[in-house]
Amino acid sequence: MGLDRRSFISLVAGGVAGSLFTPVIWKTLDDVSIWTQNWPWIPRLQYGEELTFPALCKLGSDAYGVKVKTVGGRPVTAEGNPDHPLSLGGICPLGAASVHLLYSPSRVKNPKLKDGSSFKDITWAEAEELLAGKIREAGSNVAMISGDETGSVTDVLSGLVGKAGSDKSFFMPGESAPAAAALAMLGGDGQVGYDIENANYVLLLGADALGSWGNVARNGKAFSASREKGVKFVYVGPAQNGTSAVADSWVPCNTGTEPVLALGIAAVIAGTSRDRSSWPGFASFAKFVQTAYPLDKVAEITGVKAAVITGLAQELVRAGRPLVLTAAEAGQGLGAFELAAGMSLNMLLQRVNAVGGVRILPWAPKVVEAAADRKTMFANDLVAYLSSVADGGAEAPALLMVYGANPAYALPNLTKAQAAMDKAGFVVSFSSFMDETAAMADLIMPDSYAFERLDDAYSPYGSGQPNYTVVAPVIKPVFDTRPAGDVLLVVAAKAELDLGFESFEDVVKAKAEALGADFDEMVEGAAWVSEEFPAQDLALWTTPLQELAVAAKDGKSLALAPVQRLKIGSAKIAIPPFNTNAIRFDEMLGNDMYVLLNAATAKNLGLKKDDAVKIASSGGECKARVRIFEGVMNDTVVAPLGLGHTAWDAFSRDKGDNVYKLLAADTEAESGLSRFATVRVTVSKA
Amino acid sequence: MAKCKSCVVLPFLVGLVASIVLGWWGFPKVLYSQKTQPIRFDHVVHVEDQAMACEDCHAFRDDGSYAGMPTNANCVGCHEDVQGEDPDEARYVAEYVQQEKEVEWLGYQKQPDNVYFSHIAHKELDCTSCHPDVANMSTPPVYYENRLSGYSKDTMKMWQCEECHAQSGASNACFVCHK
Repeated sequence: MGLDRRSFISLVAGGVAGSLFTPVIWKTLDDVSIWTQNWPWIPRLQYGEELTFPALCKLGSDAYGVKVKTVGGRPVTAEGNPDHPLSLGGICPLGAASVHLLYSPSRVKNPKLKDGSSFKDITWAEAEELLAGKIREAGSNVAMISGDETGSVTDVLSGLVGKAGSDKSFFMPGESAPAAAALAMLGGDGQVGYDIENANYVLLLGADALGSWGNVARNGKAFSASREKGVKFVYVGPAQNGTSAVADSWVPCNTGTEPVLALGIAAVIAGTSRDRSSWPGFASFAKFVQTAYPLDKVAEITGVKAAVITGLAQELVRAGRPLVLTAAEAGQGLGAFELAAGMSLNMLLQRVNAVGGVRILPWAPKVVEAAADRKTMFANDLVAYLSSVADGGAEAPALLMVYGANPAYALPNLTKAQAAMDKAGFVVSFSSFMDETAAMADLIMPDSYAFERLDDAYSPYGSGQPNYTVVAPVIKPVFDTRPAGDVLLVVAAKAELDLGFESFEDVVKAKAEALGADFDEMVEGAAWVSEEFPAQDLALWTTPLQELAVAAKDGKSLALAPVQRLKIGSAKIAIPPFNTNAIRFDEMLGNDMYVLLNAATAKNLGLKKDDAVKIASSGGECKARVRIFEGVMNDTVVAPLGLGHTAWDAFSRDKGDNVYKLLAADTEAESGLSRFATVRVTVSKA
Repeated sequence: MAKCKSCVVLPFLVGLVASIVLGWWGFPKVLYSQKTQPIRFDHVVHVEDQAMACEDCHAFRDDGSYAGMPTNANCVGCHEDVQGEDPDEARYVAEYVQQEKEVEWLGYQKQPDNVYFSHIAHKELDCTSCHPDVANMSTPPVYYENRLSGYSKDTMKMWQCEECHAQSGASNACFVCHK
């Protein structure tokens, strides 16, 4: 019997009918539907034991404790650490994104040596030998830049430079340096802190305390607690921001003139009937402020009405435990005189070394003998040094070492800073990421990331009390990186420069011991906090009294108000990939960033919403689009710092423009510090 | 006509039977690949000889969710060095403990990531209600991996969860399992 056409069709029909009584079709359909949801890029849950470890976040300008949650040994998220004095359970936008940066595409995965216009991979042994050789060759012609004011790695690096015979140890700009210089002008010595938690009236002169200034997490917790206690927060600044949005009131004030307002308020307070004649320096100070800063003049410079100035002065006098906090909107750029103006106001209110006032913290103990102490480093001005090198006024260093900082991106006088770095004989970057400085360095010795290394932090600027934190690694290095502290000690030994320590852990132990802290308890998560504040013998502005420099209005240019928004990064970190969704369409559209103008200013310039503009200063130019926002003073342009990277990764590169290019610095004669908080720019259609 | 009828019915029956046989017997063999655990773990030795409880190695998180397979951290307390004469133990120590590498155990009941399952909520049930009775096995059962979906053959399907919830009066609302 052959299989004819009819039989074949019957056979197939039987097969199809039979398949309906098997799982073949139904199971296949079900599995296919599951398979369509199994794409490899769909995030997978990590299984395993859940643990939390204390860790440090140093991605912004401060340092504070976080808790890193691990699942199966792998960090998955960072949370505020309720046990840490600078967190109290809070966290900043960079801290929240910190775990994801472990796996950022920008991580430098192994040591690299410049090879023409690119890099070639080298071993750690080769990198250490090379750097040791460069140190021996350079002799005393070495310099260092650190972006970490709180950690002991800076001490090791500075010790290496000091042992080589150089005093060129620099910090990136911030407000610690002018604050320390301001305190010195008043006869004090120490690190400036602010006891925000215990104040009952907080006047924030420019300080974006809830957005980017100082210990942001702690500030937020203090503000939150203040709501029930009836504490008043007043924000003074040129534009509405995260702080003004929730403060009890916002006093619009011309950019960078908040210190002038402080002296105007001081003039009003000095004129009250209270007898202060016995206070050191009061007589000349009162005479100066009342002569140089009469209400109408202050009102004209600051744009704040005389009645408002008087009202602020009266509120401060009546408050009981007022605190005045002076800062630049961008957390840097004020001169020492300007910070001393705000400090004088606290002195006039008798709020120095008082509960709820300005607290003077002792300097961190020095354990690396050859290192420059913090006070000396704060007095060394990086911007002035690099500008001088670029202009030929100072010799370029044969060896420049950069740790935890990105000077090729985040400095005022940026063109000169980059030119100075180009002139340096050999540049070494200790960076976890391929930032602009690493990209131009001759040698990259990748530092292990925050959660991969032992690290410490002593009293970040703004801390209300002396504090010290030590954290152990949460995870082994994900890539072939090593902690910079240990690498530097190995290199120092190879270069036959004895820093007195064999491991970085020994340095941290010595610092803990010097403070009277228990190292073993600290690595388990216990923060060390002290209530000891060195006594100060202050006098009201003991240095020559002089008027503050204010950029002259010319009718053509606008005041530039640079702002930090931590969600888009900091001077150290570009936009964390995790945070890109937090950037609003009216902050960035495509690759164009927005700057803010009010409608009147825009009209004067012939600009309207979304217009492409060119912003220019004596320092450089930027491109942006215009956003009309009525929460900005007249003749002021608000521009975000932290965009316009040329290195990093696809999440940051070429997004917006680098506003640091606009920051032209001048040097304050008395302190020698660079100031760049009152830059004027022109804004024109691009 | 008779000849014509048989040349239709017979092939139909042959096709029907062949299809059913292939569907029930052959199809699973094609659909599932067979895998064995990377190391033969003898549960009997641990449960009966060492009197260990399931919870000693298979811990849950505080919220009762799955905490993953035991890691070397669970094992090195006893197996930092080779204890007995089992070649699999020697291999485990040499290839995993000494090289600080975790064993990629195959989980018979691992649910998709979009399913939240709390063991605490099901603690009244015997482990063997859902899991193979490995406590009485010296050699773990063969792991059947679905070639299409990638999941274990023993992964519980949604209808099984729903059926049990319905029978026991527990809610079958979406958010009970899909958080």
